[in-house]
Amino acid sequence: MLHPAGPAAEAIAGLWWVMLAGGAAILVFVLGLLAMAILRRPSAPPAAGRNGAALWHHGLGLGFPLVTLAALTVHGLVVGERLLPHEAEGLVTVRAEARQWAWTFGYPEAPGLATEDVLHIPAGRPVNVEITSRDVVHSFWVPRLAGKLDAVPGHVNVLRLQAAAPGTYAGQSAEFSGPGYKGHVFTVRAHDAAAWDRFLRGGSP
Amino acid sequence: MTARRRTALRLHRELARIWAPDPRLRGWLTTSNNNDIGRLFLAVATAFFVIGGLLAMLIRAQLATPGSAFMGPEAYDQVFTMHGTVMMFLFAIPFFEALSMLVLPGMLGTRDLAYPRLGAYGLWVYVFGGSAVIVAMLLGLAPDGGWFMYPPLTSAAFSPGIGADVWLLGITSIEVSAIATAVEVIVTVLRYRAAGMSLSRMPIFAWYILVVAVMILTAFPPMILGSLLLELERALDWPFFQVENGGDPLLWQHLFWLFGHPEVYIIFLPAAGMIATILPVMARTTLLGYGWVVAAAVSLGVLSFGLWVHHMFTTGIPHLGLAFFSAASTLVAVPTSVMIFAWIGTLRQGRVRMELPMLWIIGFFATFIIGGLTGVMIAIVPFNWQVHDTHFIVAHLHYVLIGGYVFPMIAAVYYFQPLLTGRFQVFRLGGVAFWLVVPAFHVTFLAVHLAGLLGQRRRTWTYDEGQGWEVLNLVASVSSFVMAIGFALVLLDVAINTFARARGPRNPWGAGTLEWAAPMPSPPYGFASIPIVGSRYPLLDDPRIDLKIARGEGYLADTSRSRRETLIVTTAQGAPAQVAVLPCNSVLPFLLAVVTSTAFLAPLVKAHAVSVLALVGVVAVALVWVWRLAPARMEGPVDAGHGAMLPLASETPDPPGWWGSLFLLLADGVHFGALLFGYAFLWTVAPNWPPPSFLRPDVAGPALALGGAGALALAPRLAVRAIGAGRGAGPAVGLAALAALALAGAAGSVMLERPDPAGHAHDATLWILAGHVAFHAGLVLIMLFYLALRLVAGKALRIGEARIVGLWADFTAATGLVALGAAWLPGVLA
Amino acid sequence: MTGILRIALPLTVWLAGFCAIYALQGLGCSRHWPEGLDRRATLIAAAALFVLVQTLILLAVLYRPSGFRFVQATATLLAGAALAAAVWTSLPVLTLEICG
Repeated sequence: MLHPAGPAAEAIAGLWWVMLAGGAAILVFVLGLLAMAILRRPSAPPAAGRNGAALWHHGLGLGFPLVTLAALTVHGLVVGERLLPHEAEGLVTVRAEARQWAWTFGYPEAPGLATEDVLHIPAGRPVNVEITSRDVVHSFWVPRLAGKLDAVPGHVNVLRLQAAAPGTYAGQSAEFSGPGYKGHVFTVRAHDAAAWDRFLRGGSP
Repeated sequence: MTARRRTALRLHRELARIWAPDPRLRGWLTTSNNNDIGRLFLAVATAFFVIGGLLAMLIRAQLATPGSAFMGPEAYDQVFTMHGTVMMFLFAIPFFEALSMLVLPGMLGTRDLAYPRLGAYGLWVYVFGGSAVIVAMLLGLAPDGGWFMYPPLTSAAFSPGIGADVWLLGITSIEVSAIATAVEVIVTVLRYRAAGMSLSRMPIFAWYILVVAVMILTAFPPMILGSLLLELERALDWPFFQVENGGDPLLWQHLFWLFGHPEVYIIFLPAAGMIATILPVMARTTLLGYGWVVAAAVSLGVLSFGLWVHHMFTTGIPHLGLAFFSAASTLVAVPTSVMIFAWIGTLRQGRVRMELPMLWIIGFFATFIIGGLTGVMIAIVPFNWQVHDTHFIVAHLHYVLIGGYVFPMIAAVYYFQPLLTGRFQVFRLGGVAFWLVVPAFHVTFLAVHLAGLLGQRRRTWTYDEGQGWEVLNLVASVSSFVMAIGFALVLLDVAINTFARARGPRNPWGAGTLEWAAPMPSPPYGFASIPIVGSRYPLLDDPRIDLKIARGEGYLADTSRSRRETLIVTTAQGAPAQVAVLPCNSVLPFLLAVVTSTAFLAPLVKAHAVSVLALVGVVAVALVWVWRLAPARMEGPVDAGHGAMLPLASETPDPPGWWGSLFLLLADGVHFGALLFGYAFLWTVAPNWPPPSFLRPDVAGPALALGGAGALALAPRLAVRAIGAGRGAGPAVGLAALAALALAGAAGSVMLERPDPAGHAHDATLWILAGHVAFHAGLVLIMLFYLALRLVAGKALRIGEARIVGLWADFTAATGLVALGAAWLPGVLA
Repeated sequence: MTGILRIALPLTVWLAGFCAIYALQGLGCSRHWPEGLDRRATLIAAAALFVLVQTLILLAVLYRPSGFRFVQATATLLAGAALAAAVWTSLPVLTLEICG
């Protein structure tokens, strides 16, 4: 996920770098306060009385986290909202069905067409993946393209993907599913427009 | 020798005789004293920590290199499932319970916990259940579906062996033990304190452990319900989690995390309580902002119940639903931060001394803050979508659990060691151990964080070369072994210093709370007399309060009644209110634990008849237990010292049994609530609903239920009146029994109408609802049977007894009506 | 015991309200939601009710004080916290997509 190759993964990676920087700053700040508290020279005047206590509680204990967290949560929700499978121009829908330990992918635009363990998508266009499972709970995850979404038997979950450029992206199931879990992986091939058309018509892309 | 010294010595001898455990081996099985039970508990929990640690080393050995041939997936799946299970259920919770058992009575200024025998029972159930799980693992029959056991992977179709049953039955039996201890802790904190110890004068740890105990009562029941449902699905094919017949696998995830998230705080808060206790003493000052810290602990306890869905951000729940939980998840950082800054402020106002406990607390800060920050990160929904189920999560949870729990607990062990053993550090391996553990911990889990960010999933038994994870995993494995050596040194250090002799003065740290006013190591009776306190830090007000206590200048210094007595106070102000008589040594708790564990574990070997027989044994032993505990005659008020004539607890309208029942019913009520939630969840969300048909009640069922519930609520009140007026309570007891039977009959009619619970989740749920009613009606019948026996034996009933049965009857009547109403409602509406 | 209840009540009500809003949202996206009932308006109304109840609790704590100073201070603090928590955790109903 540190090498994003699509808008969703990019947005999340951006979120990560912001949080890492903020988190590191907070860590240094708090540990600095701790060190100052511990190493305070005994000769220094004792900590200010009631006012000092109020600063610790209201200022640092309450105010500081409230402001940071509010900003972060709102930011996260805005990003999350943008990643949802909204209506979009040029939207393509594909189906993903998991089982122990393989994936079958279907393409409503080309009925009857199915691929095993390889998902074909057009590059540069938004793709909705309709995810479900035939047996136990699995999870559909292509780290460089987007976050993961579970394949739950009896439910269909929709994940929005987009690959910025044609290429091959590694995918893996990300919910433990028994002894074959390690090998429960798949590949996503993103094609340019011409190759995608060839694929839908049943030719080799 | 002065006269006062002689008084103290005489008092010590008398009390030591009254509170003495039985001699030799028998003593271990019959003791119920908090010092003995706590020590055993602590030793067993530590043993499980070692086992869990060995499993962790197996995991890191396997993951050190790609394509490792050390274990195959079958073995590895069992190892990581057991590592999680052992650490969470067999180590973390029992360990802090053990430590609380040891120090809580001292802190509160009382002589023992409220229900010593219940404590002993909890210990033995835990020992048997935990051992069964470990034995299964040694036989290669361990669960292998991950410690959160998601069905359908753990359903009979995909996990046909007994591994999953070992988990469901073994862990549930241990949860029963945790609930027993929680009830004991709550009632102790609320009622068993020193005279004058009002709520605002309680040691801060008492507040934390009170919050935690209430959380155990409210968090464990959903999990117990989930385990019951999954076990029923596995054994009898009742389809709660199978989609085809109206179940839904997401129901398990909700029930599990309704427990699982509060669980994290159940583990963290006792550690935080220890820090709030130890840190001010290490800084030679008192806690800054006591009231704020209490409020923060309470908020953290309640808020943590609003977070469970953040473990389910990737299950396809609508974004708005996730947003609620994301907001609540970031919210919990606020009370945590209030605590952290209160502690830093405390350090600032004092002068810190760098003893071992303080060192480990600094280790806590350096680690837990990072765990908290990554916790906020994964509460942010889109980021969670990426890192969920990767090693990033593994690293985060180890930062929180090891940094937030294990380090403070080590600090607590070092801090309380003089009190528990009466000895002082002679060898100093502790410092070396600290410098091995903490840096190695950070190297290990920073590497694991990074591996997760690079896409490494958790729970794969190995990984392929060329993904950029080799170096990180090798580094993590090597430093994890350094950390393990460090932990081994800590154990060795504590063991050596437990047995090496070096006596020292009382209250070596200069603490202000009462546990340091007891003799060291604490004798079975704890305090020679119940202390009288006038502030939060009685030892700072009066450093010689220990002598006053020893000379019998507190309450209950009179040993002439020759029995184990302690003081019960009013909940808010801590004014002396009653005198409790604690039970003598008995083998009954051990026996009850044997039959309870047999009932739980016999189904593992398909010995269902043995299980039923053991259940009968549970009832029989419980009856003998209660029968023997009941005092033979009324005594009236007794002299508690200081001119106070107080009633015996057993002769009041609210005896300890009433309080215990009240809190046990809280847990029972949450269990029932979780059941209703499950029913509503399936009705709303499960794909194959509605069922082929709903149940349409005729007139008889609801009439029976209404009549039964009404009479059941009325009869115990009549009994209380009759006892108060000195009349016979026989007719009321009879009426109550008839009422319970009527309610059970109504429940039975639901089952008869729907004879095939395996057909659809709806029918299976109706059986559970009806089963709840029938079970509680049965419980009330057993209690009524006991009252009837007492009547037949010609003993006068006490108001307290009747009120206890009344509590259970009220609960049965109320939840019975709701349960049966819920079963019938869809049919009436349809 | 009333002291303990005063301390425990405000946030317990928050928990109940929080779960109720979540349940309402779940119901809103389920097959049982009545045709024609506006989801967002219903959710906003429920959230407003939630905040109102939490405000009333705070007022009740302030105007019917406990005789015990410590209990009163802690209960006030927690009732305020519960009100803040109710507002904060209800905010998403204003803007986010409901069943997406």
